[in-house]
Amino acid sequence: MTVEIHAPPLSQTADTLVILEWLKQVGDPVNKGEVLFKVETDKAVLEVESPASGTLSAILADAGEEVKVRSVIGSIAEAGEAGGETSNPVIPSLGENTSSPGAAGEALPLERQNRLFASPRARQLAALKGVPLEALQGGGTGQGGLIVERDVSAYLEQLKTKPRITPLARRMAETTGVDLSKVTPARPGGAITKADIAASTNIGSEALESALAPTALRLTPTRKTIARRMQESHQLTAPVTYMSEVDATRLVKLRKRILGKLPDGAIRPTYTDFLIYLTCRALAGHPALNATFDEERLALYESVHLALAVDTERGLIVPVIREADRMGVEEIARMRSDLVSRALTGTLSPDELSGGTFTLSNLGALGIDHFTPLINPPQVAILGVGRIREAPLARKGKVRIRKLMGLALTCDHRVVDGGPAARFLQDLCSLVETPDLIWL
Amino acid sequence: MAQMTIAEALRQAIREEMQRDERVFCVGEDIGIEGGFGGAFTVTLGLSDEFGHERILDTPISETAIAGIAIGAAVAGMRPIADVQYGDFLFCMMDQLANQAAKLRYMSGGTLSVPMVMRAPVGATARGAQHAQSLEAFFTHIPGLKVVAPATAYDAKGLLKSAVRDDNPVLIFEHKLLYGSKGARSEKGALSPVGEVPDEEYLVPLGEGVIRRRGKNVTIVATLLMLYRALGAAETLSRQGIEAEVIDPRTLVPLDKELILGSVRKTGRLVVVEEDNLTNGWGAEIAAIVADEAFNWLDAPLKRVAAPDVPPPFAPVLEREYVPSEQKIVDAVLSIM
Repeated sequence: MTVEIHAPPLSQTADTLVILEWLKQVGDPVNKGEVLFKVETDKAVLEVESPASGTLSAILADAGEEVKVRSVIGSIAEAGEAGGETSNPVIPSLGENTSSPGAAGEALPLERQNRLFASPRARQLAALKGVPLEALQGGGTGQGGLIVERDVSAYLEQLKTKPRITPLARRMAETTGVDLSKVTPARPGGAITKADIAASTNIGSEALESALAPTALRLTPTRKTIARRMQESHQLTAPVTYMSEVDATRLVKLRKRILGKLPDGAIRPTYTDFLIYLTCRALAGHPALNATFDEERLALYESVHLALAVDTERGLIVPVIREADRMGVEEIARMRSDLVSRALTGTLSPDELSGGTFTLSNLGALGIDHFTPLINPPQVAILGVGRIREAPLARKGKVRIRKLMGLALTCDHRVVDGGPAARFLQDLCSLVETPDLIWL
Repeated sequence: MAQMTIAEALRQAIREEMQRDERVFCVGEDIGIEGGFGGAFTVTLGLSDEFGHERILDTPISETAIAGIAIGAAVAGMRPIADVQYGDFLFCMMDQLANQAAKLRYMSGGTLSVPMVMRAPVGATARGAQHAQSLEAFFTHIPGLKVVAPATAYDAKGLLKSAVRDDNPVLIFEHKLLYGSKGARSEKGALSPVGEVPDEEYLVPLGEGVIRRRGKNVTIVATLLMLYRALGAAETLSRQGIEAEVIDPRTLVPLDKELILGSVRKTGRLVVVEEDNLTNGWGAEIAAIVADEAFNWLDAPLKRVAAPDVPPPFAPVLEREYVPSEQKIVDAVLSIM
């Protein structure tokens, strides 16, 4: 049997009290007479004992809630039911106040107090058509505001005849708080437009427009730099992108072998590190691409100062690995790892961000196959690296599954013609496909 | 096809059944006496001339004698039609009806049957509290009895003939204001519906109701005089755009509940009208059936229009207030729209 827990009428002067604290959780065993919860009346804080022994089965009024006295605030499932013990039938006590109006009109359980009144027929139709009855609350036209079938039907009808509205008008209405249900389209049967919204509000159309303006962001210094340099690149260089697809199967195997031999705690070279290494090897034979071009002056460099595009929260950052051509893969990895992590935290020095002679940008980790990178002026070439993916490759009349990688080289045609550019890319591809060639 | 009043249709039914089956006979007070009215409401007028006093059997003023003769004769193989001068006198026969007639078949394991018809006039007609009650509900509560309430001449004849041929005791309640009795027995304020009655043989089965008026907004269930008040109310409501469906169950036991449920599923609203006192009437039973079996189809509370829980008053002004009027039916419908 379930025993209801009532908010006790402890105060002579107030008909509500506040539940301060429950000393038991739902599911806890409770004994009759044990303190179950604390309440605060207008006069005092008082402890209330459990009216029965069993398990606390429900708490309907949480701590902090103000409740009416005598209302149901929880329940206890009495123990010993399943025990099969024969017990005397419980004769419910009529209590002392049976004759008082308060006892006769005992408060409804809380969950019934906010009941939505709808006729069975209305509920049936609403369930069938998926109408949320809450949408009709307060709008019932039956006896005593009962929601009846015609109310549900009218709701459905109104849904059907709801005028269309343009996306812009809807956004304007949302921004300006115009109630769409009160707007009628100027063209009967037509959609509600921007003009209809403007006409239905006294906000001027200029104010409306500005309400719709996109969020204005102040540009960060980094973004400003990126914007200026990318615009320069686009306007001042004559970029041509050369694309190749290269069989990276051997490179993949080589890397795997090397990773297997690395001592614990060593930095693990990425494909980017291998590609930087191979690019430096290839550039050795093509100095025209390891260059800067500033107006009239073309400068070729003996060392490769390799600039690496790094994606950060603040935007594109391009630190430079100085004299990368003098490093082995392991050292490149160490340098790269340090520069990237400091690029991410924004702790690179200006020196580390300038002086590059060739740029590498690897978007393979982001699933890109090919892209056309923009030259990083005053440099004259940039290599864009795509992802490594398994794909069928036909060679010598046979199709095999190989690991392919897209390489895209953008060169400034003002100083690097197609021939030299293509030859560099060809050499690089050979090195990727046959890394053993570095011994030559 | 003949035009007949209900009294004439009932007389014709009795005549045909007596001609058809020699076991059929009538028993009652002043039903065949020379110079009499042919019962209180002329139903058996002239039948003693046709069938003789042995088959139109007059009794002393003793309802227990009438019930005893009818029930005993029925058990013995006859098919009596007992005439109760006023339905109110059925209370005198209560033990015979409730304890004997209704239960003999059941208690004898089907060895005995009681193929008896008992006709009883009901309705408040300026005769005071003991000649005015509507008693149908009492007998719907006794398993073993069938309860019939015809409101038209066609139904009166067809239902009476079915009742005579039924092997169970059947009580037929007839309304004093619907008989169409003539001459000295004509009733003040009677409706006296005259209807077409086919010349050829026909029966109206027990347990089949009929839709008297079609409508989609509310179902009104009514019998006897109340049926006509309900139809009048439906006419008034129609002028306000509310189309009431009016159902005449014709028999209360067995009850054509599917007809009522089907109508309520359509309209979503129910008003039951009965001339009897409100509490525990057959209207309450119909409301309970609908609440139970058509709950999800309801769009409003169920309403009963009935007499207040007081005896029928003698004073004409009070009687008019007591018997449900068209206006009360209209008001009840409007209260749930």
